[in-house]
Amino acid sequence: MTKQGRILGIGPTDNTSDQRTPRQPLRLIPEGVRDSFVPVVPATYRTGPHEWDLTRTAPGRPRAQGTAIEVTGTLRSESGRPVSHALIEIWNANTHGRYRHVEDHSGLQLDENFYGMGRVLTDAAGRYRFWTISPGAYLARPDIGRWRPKHIHLSVSGGSARLITQMYFPDEPNNASDPMAILMGDAFARNIGTPRDVNGADVDEAYDFDIVVGGRNATYFE
Amino acid sequence: MTTRQPNALPATNEDTSGPYFPIAFADPALEDLTCVHPGVVGEASGTRIILRGRVLDRHGDLANGALLEFWQTNAKGIYRTPATEGDPAIDPWFHGYGRQRTATGAYEFRTIMPGAAPGRAPNITITVFSDGINRIVTQMFFADADGNDTDPVLKAAGADAPRLLARHDGRTAKGEEVYVFDIVMAGPDETPFFDDLES
Ligand SMILES: [Fe+3]
Repeated sequence: MTKQGRILGIGPTDNTSDQRTPRQPLRLIPEGVRDSFVPVVPATYRTGPHEWDLTRTAPGRPRAQGTAIEVTGTLRSESGRPVSHALIEIWNANTHGRYRHVEDHSGLQLDENFYGMGRVLTDAAGRYRFWTISPGAYLARPDIGRWRPKHIHLSVSGGSARLITQMYFPDEPNNASDPMAILMGDAFARNIGTPRDVNGADVDEAYDFDIVVGGRNATYFE
Repeated sequence: MTTRQPNALPATNEDTSGPYFPIAFADPALEDLTCVHPGVVGEASGTRIILRGRVLDRHGDLANGALLEFWQTNAKGIYRTPATEGDPAIDPWFHGYGRQRTATGAYEFRTIMPGAAPGRAPNITITVFSDGINRIVTQMFFADADGNDTDPVLKAAGADAPRLLARHDGRTAKGEEVYVFDIVMAGPDETPFFDDLES
């Protein structure tokens, strides 16, 4: 059988996906040069001591509006090895569905107590933890009434581990119609956080979200 | 090439970065690889270059909000990885990984001319994350460099190999060599993108 590269899927009802998805099959990386495609991110990350708590803009400041949540999990490679001291960058919309990003022109309400971005490092066992506000869903395609379901963006980089992903929430009405979720198919279930008890933490809800870096992708390697 | 273990954990799906990757996460040390960190004495060895270009969509429009990552060898052709950390040819002032988010889709990246790794022509691996896609990866070469005619990646690109070549565009007053490389995400002039084996 001749080996062929993937043809990337285009997210249905996603204009940007239509504009930006390559149409040609991806070229296979030639034998022997695979390593050259795998960046090793230098461990020079800086995170502020309070960046793990996105529910306040600074210690002692009021809580942001909405439902405070804790998200915890372990970052592992496909072989199960914990990825320690990796950087996880987090960003999510506020409870109204608005990002505090200069390019979010939705006009939705900002919350003076919510930045919606933070950074944490995994510990020696690959574990991470952060608090944020449960994000609002937002209307991504007003012309056809298509919403983006509630989601938290996560960017992971550590050594040769690299992943940008999103954590979704169970039983959300807009999960099924999300273009990126449709491309994932049944595997979408892996990107949904698992509700758990808050175990006494000062939050309203808690979720586990274990992350596995790997897959058939040029930038993963161990 | 790695062999997938039958009992491997299922990987978390990649997902689009969306349009709002925080500008606040920008790290000046990753946007200019010629110095180890702004304000710190410690310069990378090698010829300073400026790589500039545009990320374009299927209609030839700028792909705003793209996040670009760069990966390259030092001037002596060595990638800085855990495996090469003790190598005397490692440049202590150069790690080879750069990242920048472009608001407009136009980019400008300051670095040094990569050396040729064994069997390779000088190149820079470029990864693009943006709204609408997860990740696309390519390698960019220098139009005037030795070794392009035998490089395995350029050979794999076949007739599209010229789309992987950056064009030399003169020298700045400060002596930086300027190269221009557009990344066409989709459409008739689509850049060849690379991936691991799939089928
Ligand atoms: Fe989003």
